[in-house]
Amino acid sequence: MEKYRPKKIEDIIGNEEAKATFIEWLKGKRKTKKAVLLYGPPGVGKTALVNAAAKESGFTIIEMNASDTRSEKAVNAIAKPATSYLALDTFTTGSKGNLLFLDEVDGIAGNEDRGGVSAIIEIVEKSKVPVIMAANDPDIDKLRPLKKICLLVRFHQIRLPLIIALLQKICLLEHVKADFEALEHIAQNSKGDVRSAINDLQSLSEENHVLTLLDTMALSSRNKDINMDETLRGYFSAKSIEEVSSLLFRASVDYDEFIMSVSDNLPRRYTNPDELALAYDYVSKADLFRGRIGTEHWHLLKYFFNELSEAAAVAPESYKPFEFISPPIRIITLFWTKGKRTMLNSICGKIGALCHVSHSKAKHEFVPFIKMMLQNQKSSSLISWLELTPEEVDFLVKMNRY
Amino acid sequence: MVVGLNPKGFKLPRVEKEKFVLLIRLGVDYNREQCLYSIKNYNNIEKIIETIAGILNSEVVFLQSCTRCGKNFPCSECKYNNLCTSRDMPFSCVCPQCLRERKHFEEYLEKL
Repeated sequence: MEKYRPKKIEDIIGNEEAKATFIEWLKGKRKTKKAVLLYGPPGVGKTALVNAAAKESGFTIIEMNASDTRSEKAVNAIAKPATSYLALDTFTTGSKGNLLFLDEVDGIAGNEDRGGVSAIIEIVEKSKVPVIMAANDPDIDKLRPLKKICLLVRFHQIRLPLIIALLQKICLLEHVKADFEALEHIAQNSKGDVRSAINDLQSLSEENHVLTLLDTMALSSRNKDINMDETLRGYFSAKSIEEVSSLLFRASVDYDEFIMSVSDNLPRRYTNPDELALAYDYVSKADLFRGRIGTEHWHLLKYFFNELSEAAAVAPESYKPFEFISPPIRIITLFWTKGKRTMLNSICGKIGALCHVSHSKAKHEFVPFIKMMLQNQKSSSLISWLELTPEEVDFLVKMNRY
Repeated sequence: MVVGLNPKGFKLPRVEKEKFVLLIRLGVDYNREQCLYSIKNYNNIEKIIETIAGILNSEVVFLQSCTRCGKNFPCSECKYNNLCTSRDMPFSCVCPQCLRERKHFEEYLEKL
């Protein structure tokens, strides 16, 4: 796969119009906007185009992707210096300087990325170097301010004939004999994702000297949904690493949920503490790879699977059927406590509105004292001032944690 | 009725001001000298096709340009057209003949 990662702009198939628009912008012929946002489905060549174009035009890429924290502080620490000054080597080596590339900007979310979007906007406005962003879904509300300051370039799904043509080219260069129908099936199966089509071709051609339609039928079975329950059952009862590995490749599960389920069930699978510790060690490494994969680096998926397979095969001989926990405890807990959390939020909202404090401050600094006041004596004036319902008063009096 | 258009340049009957402004805003370019429209920005391609179809009062399909032989062909000739998410849109493709025949493919490889 790495061998056929596009290195030149011409290597990227499809989306000719989007490519031309982007190159024009990068060369300064279309500098109506200071930044560009490339958007479209995964595996269509957005990141590859930025890398190839930067290389051909002589830019040095400063990249921040989903595996980095992209809070206001982090963006300012990395992106600000990279965009505020022109690099010294522009005068000596002919380099055009830096190019800031923010991949998967639609993934900027949650507390750890707080303030990230506004920091990016500020950087774009003051930047002295090109700023490029890529996203799969540009329609999320958070990106609306970003879209206003960017030149938008849309990438479409790669067409089937183009993927087949690319697979033909790879087969010719790699001396792989493949039936047209086999390549057709791989391309259809990829659903417009070139990366996955090349991965499939690679994995199938390693096993077969002449690739036939029959060989590619395994892809269909791979794409058949093996749900979480079946995957967990197969995972814990597997007798070898190879068995687990092939199961994971065929599974259609949410990997984050799956790793949580594995983690919850390991103590039931391994009763020996040493085996359990070893298995948890492998799971922790798998979790590390899951973090690195994000939404882009799927070439690391095999390492994620490898570590998980190792965890399942620590002591195959000690397997005894057991009732496993599914869905993961964390998700079950969130489900069970949803009512309580909603009620606490409602109480914090009332406190916040009357005391002019945030929900968080109300929860951590006010609720404990109100709880104590209510436990000691039912303060009717406090209850009426906060407009607490009898259920909310009861909840506050009985709650153990806040 | 189905109207086939060449994305590099196509003619439209005289359109009212609002429709013309809408087309330009959506990313259509107009060459006054040749009286030809062409597509400049493909971000809103679905909306462009819909607007042109409204102007012509018929279904609009764009011809595809083969990256290997350069021939223009309609999506209806392609056997994958039911699976294609960008069917009848003006994007580069490979025509069914080139996909099957190795001759053009080898020429194409030599060009790379």
